[in-house]
Amino acid sequence: MIRIQNLSRNFGNLKAVDNISFDIKDTEILGFLGPNGAGKTTTLRMLVGYLQPSGGSIELDGKSIFADPLAASSQIGYLPEQNPLYDDMSVSEALAYFGALRSMSKAVFKARKEFVVANCGLAEVLNQRIGTLSKGYRQRVGLAQAILHDPRILILDEPTSGLDPNQIMEIRDLIRTLGKEKMLILSSHIMQEVQALCDRVVIINKGKIIVDDQKENLGNYLENSEVLHLEVEGEGIEFGAFAEQYAGLELQSEAVDERHCILKLKQPKGMDLRQDVSRYINEKGWLILEMRVEKQSLEQIFHRLTGEDNSVHFTAPQTDENIEEQQ
Amino acid sequence: MRAIWIIAKKEYQLAMRSISTYIVLTLFLVVSGLFFSNIIFKVGLAEMRSLFEIMHVVFVFYIPAITMGSIARERQSGTLELLSTLPIKLSSIIWGKVLSCLMQLKTLVAFTLVFLGIIAIFGEGIDYGAVVCGYLGLILAGTAYISIGVFASSLPSNQILAFVLALLISAFFYVLKFLIVLIPMNLMQPLMYLSFDNHLASFLKGVVDTRDILFFLAVTAVFALLAEFNLQSRNMMQER
Repeated sequence: MIRIQNLSRNFGNLKAVDNISFDIKDTEILGFLGPNGAGKTTTLRMLVGYLQPSGGSIELDGKSIFADPLAASSQIGYLPEQNPLYDDMSVSEALAYFGALRSMSKAVFKARKEFVVANCGLAEVLNQRIGTLSKGYRQRVGLAQAILHDPRILILDEPTSGLDPNQIMEIRDLIRTLGKEKMLILSSHIMQEVQALCDRVVIINKGKIIVDDQKENLGNYLENSEVLHLEVEGEGIEFGAFAEQYAGLELQSEAVDERHCILKLKQPKGMDLRQDVSRYINEKGWLILEMRVEKQSLEQIFHRLTGEDNSVHFTAPQTDENIEEQQ
Repeated sequence: MRAIWIIAKKEYQLAMRSISTYIVLTLFLVVSGLFFSNIIFKVGLAEMRSLFEIMHVVFVFYIPAITMGSIARERQSGTLELLSTLPIKLSSIIWGKVLSCLMQLKTLVAFTLVFLGIIAIFGEGIDYGAVVCGYLGLILAGTAYISIGVFASSLPSNQILAFVLALLISAFFYVLKFLIVLIPMNLMQPLMYLSFDNHLASFLKGVVDTRDILFFLAVTAVFALLAEFNLQSRNMMQER
């Protein structure tokens, strides 16, 4: 297991990682979440020994990874954020190169190559130059490189970025399979991904850990209210009187044009207003064009906890929801 | 050791696949061929020494061109991060780069054997001992220049800047002999000792002096160590 204690890293005056501590158990899939610039990549770079910490320690099975970096790095498979690869080499050559640098024997390399080629879907591009590959294939090559030596610990920095929904599905399946027998640390700013894959979630913001909990417990961090979205058509739409009947109900309305109105009713958790609302609208003779209760997800927890920042880039939610439905 | 060889082999193979290698190779052969024919036809000398001196000048430009990408390109594309997290030492990366450039240099120098062939066939009284020593000296000086170039390449992530830096450092060691009139007397001895030309001169005469060999090897080692130190401190202080 990996034990991180009081880990810090400064860049000049900027505290990129500020005194964080957490453990990662064997065969655990840890989701490492945070907005861009939160310190995810810096932490992962320290974990793989690429960056020296300014303070604190990282211990692998009780030994500092900086005591014997070569031994530590031979147990780690790493997919860096930008997924750097040698564009001039073919996929096959690159795998052979990494295999050789990892001192793999011919027989072992052959078996592992077969495994990664089959599992990362690289068979048809094996002799193609990496520079000519699409982003999805590049990502798979990066992942193949990371798992080539069958590492005990797998550190993936945003592994599914730039992939199409089908590829994301495949890579997630692969990650899930790998996670059964490996310690896996997955950094992401895509909430659904973490929700779909991880056992435990660490959310980091501005270099500090703000949540470290099992995925199931994350519900506790939810806001104590839900939002009912309404789109109504009709003459003289007015919900003020309706809202006053309920304690704790907040109303936000926005008229699209004379006959259309979009409303947001923020209701305390547990209150279900749908029936009352539809009856009320019925009485007034209006029409409901849309009514839905916004489900609270990890995404909102994330939003709420990491607060005001607008640096968060979310992938198109529809796409990811579709993926979840397919699953 | 194994890692050095693996890196060197891969770098060399990739370089030999790139068209720019052949363009530079052709340019070098054209330039040295022009000088060679001048010596043969105008001066009428069947010797390699003048050619070696020209080659030394060309090295000052050619070697930074082959070393400039060695580490700067890896840093630019981010592959250095990948390489640094493999179970290999930083020194293996540096020496692998040096070795691959040395292999490219030897390929280049091998083509000049054509000139030797020509004077061997048509010339008389050639001092083969001096020729062999000359080649040895050139390769040793070349290795030192390569080490300088790899060090320069480890400084910026911009290849052009790496080229200019390598050129400046190499040129310093080269032009020292021309600065003799400008140097104060008490500084002359130590500065002249650093001049590559001084050390190469005895090789070209056909004299192999252990001190000269050691000088070139020491320069190579110093710059390779500096490059390694630089990479190490980059990892410590690296900015985002």
